[in-house]
Amino acid sequence: MENLAAEQSILPVFVFFGAILLLVATMLGIASVLGERKQTKTTDLPYESGIIAVGSSQVRLSVDFFLIAIFFVIFDLETVFIFAWAIAFFELGWHGYLAVVVFILILTIALIYEWKSGALNWGVKSQTARKETS
Amino acid sequence: MSEANLPFIGAILLTVVGGAAVLTWFERRLLGIWQDRYGPNRLGPFGILQVAADMLKLLTKHDWIPPFADRFVFVIAPTAIVISMLMAFAVVPFGPDHYLIDMNVGLLFFLAMSSLAVYSVMLGGLASNNKYALLGGLRAAAQMVSYEVFMGLSLMGVVMLSGSFSLVDIVEAQQDGWYFIPQFLGLYVFIIAGIAESHRLPFDLPEAEHELTAGFHTEYGGMKFTMFMLGEYCGLILLSCMITTLFFGGWLGPFFPPLVWFALKTFGFVCFFILLRAAIPRPRYDQLMALGWTVMLPITLINLVATGAIALWMNQA
Amino acid sequence: MTLALFYIAGAIALAATGIALTRVNAIHALIYLVVSLLAVAFIFFLLGAPFAAVLEIVIYAGAIMVLFVFVIMMLNLGNRGTVVEQEMMNPSVWIIPSLLCLILLIELSLSIASLKSETNPIVVSAKEIGISLFGPYVLAVEIASMLLLAGLVAANHIGRRLSKMDQEKDEG
Repeated sequence: MENLAAEQSILPVFVFFGAILLLVATMLGIASVLGERKQTKTTDLPYESGIIAVGSSQVRLSVDFFLIAIFFVIFDLETVFIFAWAIAFFELGWHGYLAVVVFILILTIALIYEWKSGALNWGVKSQTARKETS
Repeated sequence: MSEANLPFIGAILLTVVGGAAVLTWFERRLLGIWQDRYGPNRLGPFGILQVAADMLKLLTKHDWIPPFADRFVFVIAPTAIVISMLMAFAVVPFGPDHYLIDMNVGLLFFLAMSSLAVYSVMLGGLASNNKYALLGGLRAAAQMVSYEVFMGLSLMGVVMLSGSFSLVDIVEAQQDGWYFIPQFLGLYVFIIAGIAESHRLPFDLPEAEHELTAGFHTEYGGMKFTMFMLGEYCGLILLSCMITTLFFGGWLGPFFPPLVWFALKTFGFVCFFILLRAAIPRPRYDQLMALGWTVMLPITLINLVATGAIALWMNQA
Repeated sequence: MTLALFYIAGAIALAATGIALTRVNAIHALIYLVVSLLAVAFIFFLLGAPFAAVLEIVIYAGAIMVLFVFVIMMLNLGNRGTVVEQEMMNPSVWIIPSLLCLILLIELSLSIASLKSETNPIVVSAKEIGISLFGPYVLAVEIASMLLLAGLVAANHIGRRLSKMDQEKDEG
């Protein structure tokens, strides 16, 4: 199914992965055996710097975090195309260079659009919004 | 290195994990020197036995899993960062014959592993079921994914010049000159992205003590907390190894054997990162995010376009 | 040896996906899905496509799944989500789609069995992918970039409306 060279070269990585798993399991195992067990009145409370927790941990979060995640996925996809260009850079020559410049230009348009619409500087945006309302 | 070489695997793990453990002491001592104080200096010569004492302390701590947490995810989260960071060492070439595997997509393997490390902070923050942990996890994740975008892009200049993703090829292509000169912009962006990825000071806002207690690992203690720290220090060593390999000629150098050169260069960068910690204050979180998207990303793109034009033009002439 | 690795990785991928489908807790399901994607990446590697293998990790496991976890963190439903999921486990919800999928699977396996396939896969290097992607398929690359730009604009608009609604709620 596969040539032997590829088969042999992957084996050390497997052994390495196994060794890492073993190491992690040993660390957790030893700690759970050796660790002291103490049960006080406050052991099972969530830690909030000494204050007793109020309400649940299900707090409302800023939607900007979600936007960042989407931008990340889209830009990550774009970087993959650039990876493919960079590896074959000399073979592709000026033709490939021109193609990638157009590609990066479109990417830059996307970046400028985001920037101008204020999706990237969130701290400032919420401050100005507060000023407007007050 | 075609067969599974057990002593070599053991040596890598021992060096990296042991190095990370010693680094906790070394960092405190170095910070002490730079801040005109002692640091841990009581146990053993220069206080080095502090490492052993810390290890014993962490091993005998209560292995607590919060009753309000998601047990399964709570245990998985800290192991993710350790496993992904250590796996990345599989492709690092320590010397001309000292590497586990010469993968033809080695550089991308490193990027893939560092992109998996983000799960650790997200899942840790989510599973803890604690407000601080959730906010810290979300912050950490947003910061790491933002900087991941151009961490990969900043290395593409190196790939273009060497024409390969294989780290061994990249080192060998630097025989005529190390890449930190033509790729100084790439190096600059990679260092900053690397610090943000491993969320170390000055970019440790996800765990900023003054506002979020300890961020995503607020509820972690004992060995599980140690694993987060181990992952962070392994990440620091990995980052230094990658800078050495990609920009400073890896094992190349006169007089000394290759392994010594690699170790010396890596050690130098570890010290440099500790110096950064001592010298630079934290930015605000929105400043950090704005810096990433509006300064670093454009710099990376300019670097790519400029490198491409110059390299093609020089190739023609 | 390679054949054994292939079947083990395939079994892991199938098992992880199966577990992911039956979890009621969304985060647990996502963790299994990530494992499944890693197994698929490894299969790509074994089949001689290292570039696709690494991209599978970078894009699917490292970006799209991260987005999913992000959404779960943002929604932060706690146990409410689990209750909804539990209702979805009701056979009346999933039995007809799975039957239809089963028919498709049978058709697929029949058509694959009738193919006389090459059993000697060649290793496709990243360089070859780059050359063909920016050579004959360069138009597809540019179109992809336009498509991504459109996706970005749409995401931005939806996000802006959400954050405006958020602010109004804060004030009101």
